Amino acid sequence: MDFLANLIAGFSVALQPTNLMFCFLGVFVGTLIGVLPGIGPVGTMAILLPVTYGIAPTTAIIMLAGIYYGAQYGGSTTSILVNIPGEAASVVTCLDGYQMALKGRPGPALGIAAFGSFIAGTFGVIGLQLMAPPLVSVALRFGPPEYFSLMILGFVVLTYLAQKSMTKALLTAGVGILLGTIGLDTMTGMPRFSFNIPELLDGVGLAPLAMGLFGISEILLNVEKKIKQELLTTKVKGLFPNWEDWKRCSLPILRGTVSGFFLGILPGGGAVLASFVAYAVEKRISKHPEQFGKGAIEGVAAPESANNSAAQGAFIPLLTLGIPANVVMAILLGALMIHNITPGPMLVKEHPQLFWGVITSMYVGNIMLLVLNLPLIGLWVQLLRVPYAILFPLILYICLIGAYVINNSVIDVTIMLLFGVVGYLMRKFDYEPAPMVLAYVLTPMLENALRQSLILSGGSFGIFMVRPISAGCLIVAAGLLGSSLLPMIRQKREKIVAEAEEDE
Amino acid sequence: MNAERASSVFWLAVGLISLYGSSLLGLGTFHEPGSGFLPFLAGCFICLMAIIVFLQSFIRGRAQGKIAALWAGVNWHRPLIISFAILGFILVLENLGFILTSFLLMFVLFKWVEKTSWAKAIFIPGLVLSLTYLVFDVFLKATLPKGFLGF
Repeated sequence: MDFLANLIAGFSVALQPTNLMFCFLGVFVGTLIGVLPGIGPVGTMAILLPVTYGIAPTTAIIMLAGIYYGAQYGGSTTSILVNIPGEAASVVTCLDGYQMALKGRPGPALGIAAFGSFIAGTFGVIGLQLMAPPLVSVALRFGPPEYFSLMILGFVVLTYLAQKSMTKALLTAGVGILLGTIGLDTMTGMPRFSFNIPELLDGVGLAPLAMGLFGISEILLNVEKKIKQELLTTKVKGLFPNWEDWKRCSLPILRGTVSGFFLGILPGGGAVLASFVAYAVEKRISKHPEQFGKGAIEGVAAPESANNSAAQGAFIPLLTLGIPANVVMAILLGALMIHNITPGPMLVKEHPQLFWGVITSMYVGNIMLLVLNLPLIGLWVQLLRVPYAILFPLILYICLIGAYVINNSVIDVTIMLLFGVVGYLMRKFDYEPAPMVLAYVLTPMLENALRQSLILSGGSFGIFMVRPISAGCLIVAAGLLGSSLLPMIRQKREKIVAEAEEDE
Repeated sequence: MNAERASSVFWLAVGLISLYGSSLLGLGTFHEPGSGFLPFLAGCFICLMAIIVFLQSFIRGRAQGKIAALWAGVNWHRPLIISFAILGFILVLENLGFILTSFLLMFVLFKWVEKTSWAKAIFIPGLVLSLTYLVFDVFLKATLPKGFLGF
C-alpha cells in the first residue's frame, strides 16, 4: 500500500508542468550528447550545474538525472551508425551494432537498443523503488565509523575497477581528498590552502572542477587528433525488430537488466562496467558465440539493457546512504548539497517529494526517451553530420560562460582552465580523473566521519574494527587491495583491461 | 625523461608540499584531530602511491617511453593554442566585456584554429552570441561583464 501511495505522491511531483519540462530538457540534452561524440554525460552535467542554481532542487535533480539516463539511450545511436561510441557505456554496442548496420539492418539494431533500454530502464526504476526504502532503514543504524568505512570501501572498489593502473587511481583519489580539504575547516573555522584568495574560502567549486576535468580536458584531447565521422549511407528503416529478433533478445535483455541493475549499485560500478559484463556473459552462454562481433543482435540488446538499468541502480547508494556509486552520482550529490540537501537515509523522511518525485520522473523520462529515440532517429542522424570543428568551439564557449555565471567571477573560469589542463595531462599520462572527483565530493563527509569517530573512541582507530558493519567494509576493502597484489589476479585484471581497450 | 617516472616525481612533490602545508595547519591529536589531520594523511598517501608508481616503472617494465612520445603524431599545438586563447579570454573578459571577448574567442577558434571560411567564422559566433545573450542576460538575468565599451 505504501508503494502505491509513494508512487502517487511521486507522480504528483513528476507530472507538474515545470518538472515535466525539465525532465524533457534533461532527456533531450542527454540523448543529444549521447549522440554527439566528444562530450559525455559527466561533462554535460557539470556544464549545466550552474543552470540548476536558480531552480528548485527536485526540478534540478530531475533534469540532471535525465541527462544521465538519456545519454545511455543516445550513446547507442553513434555506436550503431558510425562505429563511434557516443559515450563510454556504449563502447561494446559498437561491436555488433555497427556490424548489423553494415549488413543493412541498422533499423532493428537501433530498435532493439531503444526497446531494450526502455524495458531495462523501467525495471531499473521499479527495482530502485522497491530496494531503496528497506536500505534506508538499514542505513539509519549507521554511525560515523560505518560511514567512514563504507566510503573507504567505495574508494577501493572504484579504484579496483579502474580501467588503467589501480595505483594511479588510488593516487588521484588521494589528490581528490586533498582538493576537498581546500577552504574553511567546518569544525575549527580555519582556512586551509586558500592562499588568501577569498573565492577559495568556500573551497574549489564542483562545477568548475568537473567542467575542467571532464569538459575542457576532453576538448583539448579531441582537438589533437582528427575525429573521423563516417556516417552510414544506408537508409535507416524498419525500426521494429521482427519476431525472430525478439525471440533471440528476450533473455539477453532480462539478464542484462538484472546484472546491470546490481552492478550499478556497486560503488565504482555503473553503466560502463555493466555493459561490458552483460556482453561477456551473453557471448559466453550463447550457442553461437562465433556470431558475436559479426552482427549478433544479442550483442546489442544485452549491453544496452544493462547500461540503462545500471544507470537507475546507481541511484540507490546515493539516495539511501548519501554515497555516490560513480562520478555522475558524485555530481548529483554536489547538486543536492548546493541546495542545502544532504542525501542519505534521512532524505526520504525530510524531502519525500524530492525522493519519490525524482524516482517517478524516471518512468516519465523513459517514455519520453522511447518517443525521442524512435521517431526522431532521422534528426539524430542529421546531427551526426555536424563536424567537430563547429561543435567544440561552441561546447568550449558554453563551459566558459557557465563557469563565469556561477559567481560572476573569473576565478571560477581560471579554476576550470587549470583543471582542464591538469585533466588533459592526467589523461595523457594515463591517470583517470574520475576517482579524483569522487574523492573530492566525498571528502567533507569522510573528514567529519573520521573526526567524529576518533572523538567518540577517545582517539582509538580500533572503533572501525569493533563495529561489525564498519569492520566488514574494511575487511572487504583490504581483501580487494590484497587480491590486486596477487600476481594471478593482477594479470587477469590487466588482461581484462587490455581486452576492453582493444575493443575500444 | 620517462613519462611514468616524471609523473610520479610530480605527484611526490605535490604530496610533500601538502605534508608541509598541513603540518603548518596543525595536526591536532588522535583524540581531537586538527585542521591539518586529513590533508596530512592524504599527503602521506599521495607520497606512498607516487613512490609505488615510480618503482613500478622499473620493476614491472611498464614504462610508457619518453614524455615526447605522448605527443608524437598528434597536433599538440592545437590544445596549446586553445589553452592560451582561454587564458586570454579570462584576462580581458572584465575589461572588454562579455560580447566583444566572446566574439573574439570564437572568431579565433573558428578562423585560425579550425580554418573555416570568413563567413562561418563571423556568422556562427554572431548567432551563438545572440542566443547566449538571450538565455543568460534576458531570461536568466545573469550579470555578464559589460566592459569599458558598455556592452
